[in-house]
Amino acid sequence: MALLDVKQLTVSLTSKTSTLDAVSELTFQLQPGKTVGLVGESGAGKSMIGRTIAQLLPPGFAVTGGELLFDGEDLVGMAPERRRSLLGRDIAFIPQEPLSALNPVLTIGQQFREHLEHIGKGGAGWKDRAAAELEAVHLHEPRALLNRYPHQLSGGMCQRVLIAMAFASRPRLLIADEPTTALDVSVQARIVRLIGEMQKRDGTAVIFITHDLRLAAEICDDVIVLYAGRQAEYGPAEVLFRDPAHPYTRCLELAVPDVTGDPRGLYLLPERMPGLKAIADLKGCRFATRCPLADDTCHTQEPGLAEVAPGHVSACWKSFATEGITPPPAPAVAARGSEKILEARGLSKSFVTNWRLFGGASHFHALKAADFIVRDAEFVGVVGESGSGKSTLARTLIGLETPTSGTLQLLGRDIIGTDGGTRDWRQKQMQIVFQDPQSALNPRRKVGSIVAQALEVGGPRLTAEALEVRIRDLLSDTGLSQEMAARYPSQLSGGQKQRVNIARALCRLPRLLIADEIASGLDVSVQAQLLNLLLRLREELGFSMLFISHDLAVVRYLCDRVLVMSKGEIVEHGETEVVFSDPQHPYTRSLLAAVPKGVRAPQVEELSA
Amino acid sequence: MAQRFNWLRSGRVITGLVIVTGLVLCAVFAPLLAPNDPTEQDILAILVPPVWLPGGDWAFPFGTDSLGRCVLSRLIFGSRIALTVAVCGALGAMVLGSILAHIAGYFGGWVDWVIGRVVEIWLSFPPVILSLILMVGLGAGLQNVILAIILVDWTRFCRVLRSDVMVVAQRDYVAAARLLGFSHWRTITREILPATLPLLITLMSLEMGVAVVVEAILSFVGMSVGAEIPAWGQMIADARADIYSAPWVLVLPILAIFVTVFGFNILGDGLRRTLDTRLTQTERA
Ligand code: SF4
Repeated sequence: MALLDVKQLTVSLTSKTSTLDAVSELTFQLQPGKTVGLVGESGAGKSMIGRTIAQLLPPGFAVTGGELLFDGEDLVGMAPERRRSLLGRDIAFIPQEPLSALNPVLTIGQQFREHLEHIGKGGAGWKDRAAAELEAVHLHEPRALLNRYPHQLSGGMCQRVLIAMAFASRPRLLIADEPTTALDVSVQARIVRLIGEMQKRDGTAVIFITHDLRLAAEICDDVIVLYAGRQAEYGPAEVLFRDPAHPYTRCLELAVPDVTGDPRGLYLLPERMPGLKAIADLKGCRFATRCPLADDTCHTQEPGLAEVAPGHVSACWKSFATEGITPPPAPAVAARGSEKILEARGLSKSFVTNWRLFGGASHFHALKAADFIVRDAEFVGVVGESGSGKSTLARTLIGLETPTSGTLQLLGRDIIGTDGGTRDWRQKQMQIVFQDPQSALNPRRKVGSIVAQALEVGGPRLTAEALEVRIRDLLSDTGLSQEMAARYPSQLSGGQKQRVNIARALCRLPRLLIADEIASGLDVSVQAQLLNLLLRLREELGFSMLFISHDLAVVRYLCDRVLVMSKGEIVEHGETEVVFSDPQHPYTRSLLAAVPKGVRAPQVEELSA
Repeated sequence: MAQRFNWLRSGRVITGLVIVTGLVLCAVFAPLLAPNDPTEQDILAILVPPVWLPGGDWAFPFGTDSLGRCVLSRLIFGSRIALTVAVCGALGAMVLGSILAHIAGYFGGWVDWVIGRVVEIWLSFPPVILSLILMVGLGAGLQNVILAIILVDWTRFCRVLRSDVMVVAQRDYVAAARLLGFSHWRTITREILPATLPLLITLMSLEMGVAVVVEAILSFVGMSVGAEIPAWGQMIADARADIYSAPWVLVLPILAIFVTVFGFNILGDGLRRTLDTRLTQTERA
């Protein structure tokens, strides 16, 4: 018998006037020891199943149909006491944000003890048990760790602690909701392997929720692709990735760039996934508005889930016609100039970490003698794990940090520690696009005022009309509609915010953009649009860019050259294609090996921690 | 745009606004509203009870005090002093405190350290003692009451606002503004101040209530305006002798203070709730 049997599960947002389905008729079975992946973009409803099981549905949402059987018991209708005794014990969770899942004011030990008590393993000797669990997830010196606070650990370590806690009760079912999204690729590879290891030890079944189809294909037995609350496709992982039956699965796969293989364009899904309201009004296939294969039938009749091969179902009138969906050709290789835009020589930055009145200070070298050049109309990628000095590099280049030594020339002009005039000039020539648009956009300014913010100071005052024109141009350049000018950032989607962020930086037509992780945390279709936008803007405006990212595939798609950073040092640099196809430095090799490729049984080289 | 005026829908804000507006009208139109001259003594009508008690007289709706002065008129004129102190004192404390808070929170480092230490030292004196010491040093008089309030209470603004400024100053849009060429002054006024303004308004409103109480205390001990100008604290002090025979003379000014402070507090509280939630919503959305 299946451990988890989900039958026609429907979760809806109910109000007095309407019922809107967030998940419709979800059906799947999970056997002990197996892993099922739930894949989809945000808004597809992939987190709802975990929330339903945990009874953590957002306010207004409720199960309105179907059954959810755990080992034959109905999880929806079960008495609250019974559910409480199952949760945390037989059913465990690993959250997305490890840091926010741990209480910052309690030590790891205190929290572990509380959890052990909850699962009935508290009492004398809890320390030994906790240490043993931490040891099992390969954390060194587990006893010392018990006395530390969460903020003293890295994200990866916190996630290990949470995994140790989750497996302390030897659960039969584990729900992992995007457990690696906030982590680096190499850490992701280790965490994923660890979950697999623990799963094998205890025979645990795992529901793995992720937006990354390749990662799911790599680690899951079965994969469910969700679109707008409905199962688009459900089948064995390799089949689904290699030979998808549903157009959406194919589009998802083609929307993200690869780290290997021939260069190709990204498949652009038009528009956005319909929201809950729009779904309720749709008559035909939910994907019809964006599907490349849609025809009249699709718009009027909804396809049911049909078995297309043993153990493989798809909800599409044209299953297996996906061969016809091909990616656009690779973007043309842009002509690069030879003019040196930015030149760094021996650029270093160290921070004083431990200052003592007597006996000097200890230094942390965040950036060690970096040498590189960015040429005209060239996109240069910077890759490395968090803590590799990527962000320090960005902050030093833009002038938020003063380098400890070295020289930095912008268009042949020295820009370190210079007078006000040079600073103004530098700010006109070089701009940064910050990582988190949430924090980078003033919530109290309207979009129009944000994008033209740079014109408030410096240069001659513009007339209201000229300003209007500039705002209009910037919005249309970045693919935003004109009405956006009057909106506040909180009224925009994540992708739109990032466009506003870019528009603001481009306002005074800089020669160089510094972009810090601007494409991460976006849905794949939004990410594809953003990457193409950057390429188009380069063609139109002709700027260079230093593109900092942890996503190697994106860097390969976008950048002409790449710098690989590790521990504050540039360990390898060169043409992107050359570096990625024939990496010289072991660190580059291990980074490339950690990228999920959609093939099962990953043999990832261990990175030196 | 509609949500901009959301705060008008809060019951607290409405209540507070009604009370405060009433007070302002009283103060502005005092000569028209008061039935009698507040300083005129009528020795034939000493300790006349208010109209709702037996023996009341419509010539003195709230009765008279031991010198035969009209209590209602004195209350109405007293609101002028109370409001002057509330507005000037709170405004002054706010300006001083918030300027220092913005400087400390924005620049951080040693600037923040110095301002932080000064605030700490200031706060180590009990506020009542500090204001009394100041009054003794400065001497009596309305300006000095206001000055004392400013000098004592700027720390409230500084301490609370500083941490708010710090949070906002960490945001990337503040760094972005600097990198777009904004000066420090412009960055603070255009990017940070709009974010701290709701808190500022709220604190200001609460501080006005505090200022009214402080003025009452100081005029009670004769440190505020001279005896010829009616003030609520003074009325309480004058009424002590007749507390048993004519309790209304004591109770009415206390009630006036109470209603005023209540009005400012409920306004401040209402603003805090409405403005704050609006902020956190936009911030999180
Ligand atoms: S049913 Fe039609 S619209 Fe829906 S996915 Fe299949 S081809 Fe596309």
